[in-house]
Amino acid sequence: MSEPTFEADTAFRAADEVRRRGLAGAWDLFGERAERYEVHLNGTTREYLRAPIRLEGVGLRVLRPRDGKMSIGFAATSDRSPESLARAIEDAEATARYSRFPATTSELPASAGSPDSVESIDRDAWANPLESLDRYVHALVSAFEGRDGVVPSFGSVHLTLAESTLANSAGLEHRSSRTLFDFEVAVKAFGGPEGRPPGEYWVTSRGVRVDPTHLKSDVDTWCDRAKDVRIAKPPSAGEQTVVLPPRVLTDVLPEILSYRFSGAASIRGIAPKAGDPVGTDRVSIWNDPKYPHAIGSSAVDDEGSPTAKTALVAAGRAESTLYDLLHGSAAGHPSTGSGLRDTMTYPGWDFFAVPVNPMATTLVVGSGDIASDAELAEAAGDGIWVDQLGYAFPDPLSAAFGGEIRIGYRIRHGKIAEPLRGGTVGGVVIGGADDRSVLNSVVGLGRRTELTAHLACPALVVEKMGVGGAD
Amino acid sequence: MPSLRDVEDEIATALRRVEPHTSYAEAMAERSVGHRLRLDRSQTSIGVEPRVEGAVFRAWAGHEWVETASSGLDAKSLAASVDALRHRLTADAKRTPPPGVSATGSGERESESKVPLESFSVEHRLALAKRLHDLALSAGGIDNAIVNVNASSEERLFLSTVGARRWHRIERTRGSLAAVAMENGKVEWDYISYGETGGWEVLDELTDARVLEVAAEAKALLKAGSAPTGEMNVILDPGTAGTFAHESFGHGTEADQLLRDRSYLKPLLGSMVGPEFLTLVDDGSYPRGWGSIFFDDEGHPSQRTVLVDRGKFVEVLHDRESAAVFHRAATGNTRRADFLSRPFVRMTNTFVEPGDWTLDELVKEAKNGLLLQNCTSGIEDPLGGQMQIKVKKARRIVNGELGPVGPSMALSGKVLEFLQGIRGVGKADEFVISPGYCGKGHTDLIPAGTGGTYLLSHALVGPA
Repeated sequence: MSEPTFEADTAFRAADEVRRRGLAGAWDLFGERAERYEVHLNGTTREYLRAPIRLEGVGLRVLRPRDGKMSIGFAATSDRSPESLARAIEDAEATARYSRFPATTSELPASAGSPDSVESIDRDAWANPLESLDRYVHALVSAFEGRDGVVPSFGSVHLTLAESTLANSAGLEHRSSRTLFDFEVAVKAFGGPEGRPPGEYWVTSRGVRVDPTHLKSDVDTWCDRAKDVRIAKPPSAGEQTVVLPPRVLTDVLPEILSYRFSGAASIRGIAPKAGDPVGTDRVSIWNDPKYPHAIGSSAVDDEGSPTAKTALVAAGRAESTLYDLLHGSAAGHPSTGSGLRDTMTYPGWDFFAVPVNPMATTLVVGSGDIASDAELAEAAGDGIWVDQLGYAFPDPLSAAFGGEIRIGYRIRHGKIAEPLRGGTVGGVVIGGADDRSVLNSVVGLGRRTELTAHLACPALVVEKMGVGGAD
Repeated sequence: MPSLRDVEDEIATALRRVEPHTSYAEAMAERSVGHRLRLDRSQTSIGVEPRVEGAVFRAWAGHEWVETASSGLDAKSLAASVDALRHRLTADAKRTPPPGVSATGSGERESESKVPLESFSVEHRLALAKRLHDLALSAGGIDNAIVNVNASSEERLFLSTVGARRWHRIERTRGSLAAVAMENGKVEWDYISYGETGGWEVLDELTDARVLEVAAEAKALLKAGSAPTGEMNVILDPGTAGTFAHESFGHGTEADQLLRDRSYLKPLLGSMVGPEFLTLVDDGSYPRGWGSIFFDDEGHPSQRTVLVDRGKFVEVLHDRESAAVFHRAATGNTRRADFLSRPFVRMTNTFVEPGDWTLDELVKEAKNGLLLQNCTSGIEDPLGGQMQIKVKKARRIVNGELGPVGPSMALSGKVLEFLQGIRGVGKADEFVISPGYCGKGHTDLIPAGTGGTYLLSHALVGPA
């Protein structure tokens, strides 16, 4: 695949076939044509080259008003033959007969207008995908050269170039492209005269640019963390002030808040209502679907609606909700351009096979006034700096999260002190007005915002978090 | 329903075009279909699983594996994959054989379903889901009940340039219900979930009594105070014990981790790691197991592999490459999430073999501590040997009696210390293999069964 051609026509060809077959009523088609390139490392040696992995498919949604509600049918297929599309139409109509959703209108956008350009394409990666990936891998491996007692034990890098097409019964035709780049690396520290067991620091990252610029300094940090793992001890138990940096929050906030502030939570009665107090007055959160160089940033959502910033929390009070077309219809509210075929849970790329849901693209947490890591530690006083959780296990329903501290640091008298590992940190992100949720317990925010996958936020200083540790 | 075997000739023809350029090549083609149903208070969603099909071609390039894949099983898509693969192969690919032993067997297998995928109408599924949903709400104090009913049928066809030919079709069915209770902005829930290789008969496990029990627990969780934290005696319920076997121990037995020197278990092979009444097994041939397969994605048949035999760590799970290095045979554990994903050494159904304690005896033995129930997830730490398992609820044990239910908790600590601290394993009548999905790293999800019975040990627990 070369630079985005914007000539992908998966959904348009399917739309022609759908019209030829006389499908009545409202429908939309989301097509995807994607190529993926992967390099897998065993240590610093390449053990696997996967190039290319090609995926093309189309998802058909039909909307059938019935008895004051909406029946929604959905079918997806990677077989682009006319026979397969005919079967998809049958499947979608058949499933619609039994589905019920509390929307009242099935109006689809006739045009995406003239959307602004949103910069989310890595043009070099599109022009030379494998070379681009090779350069990144070379930079990654080189960054480990000459280090004593620290190696990458395995790693993999994945580059996905996807062209999406959207067509519907109202006549809309829209094309877009996206780059997805993700990697994981396990960094192992070992050796030394003291005979300690080896330590590992596991790094994962998702973004839209194949950019090795900061790899050298990143690898410095990873190696330091892996070494610290070897001497770290569990924290003490009890309620403590905890600093949560963006790389920890990225596994917690998007999955929970994107759901709790969505139309899907709203129709189930678990979304906060406008004006509800949900956090301290330091907390402001919004969805920015055009955040530069963020995953999924686009001027148009996956239903063809224009995207826009949506305030979710303003100075600690709930502000508004994320809607796609159907959840918006159920709530009597227009779409906020939040109808997406994605998931916060894992880095998928088969978007055509995922039904539309209302969700955030990039959650942004407003920054505070604490300028540096040293000042964040000072603001915490005594507590814990969590650098990495094993997995945060975010639960959108209860808003609870928690996991084992893979590496963290004790904060003593306002200074970052000895490394910690083991024990657990957890809590509830958002709850009632008088509870001790994370948002209600934020006592400080960093000034520097970091973009990690679906979250752009500063470090948070949270008081009275539950810590499970040594007695 | 058309079979993958209908396009076998086209796949074989494509594979033959690679053969002159490598010492070994193989193809794995996949086709899957399925049904899904989700019903709750606000909406009913009926769907069909995406009809995704395609093939991956893998060839030995002399020093590394090279793969290409494409969705679509038409001649054009297959040819595009093979052309790209040939482009990546140099002269080395023909001169050097791949590591390990190539599978050469052939055969066809199909899972058995009493109520097959296509025989249970949408109306029947909907009526069942509605009845369970209404039953949960009838308990009072329940604000919503989320019922999920899913079934899939997956075909895989494996062909290689040394004559292997394997085909299987596996149906998997899973049903779950989550009861949700809310009060003053607080939301709590509890759930039941069953899944097996087989047809819709699996849903018989979603009994009225269990639904009502889950509803009662969700309400109780809403009122539950905080649970004790710190080091204490813990009893894992069967699902949680299975997750322990899988996440905390099993991942360290995947031999690709040993090849990378990335397993804390590597130096312990052949050593006692637990009490003599402890046996851990991975069994891809377990009848009706959620993670059961007939052959793996290198063409080797699945099998029962005893990992820990009466306390002694005796075996690990191998693909062809690790088997060659360790002078063992491949164990049928090389799995791809789908034709778009690379193969890794993976578990199938991993479980703790039953012991001879009743739950009541284990509770009395623990005297004080927690019974950890309804595991929601776990994560591996193959090098560090730490464990992290999250459960939806934890019931206090006070003076040898079970007490009130408490909120979700996370179990952590050193796996080996936990193993050595095991004081009792429950009886076979409580044995369950739970359905789950396992990732290698943060992607590549595959169906994996985790099983066991009640298990008593000592661990660090904290809020989650």
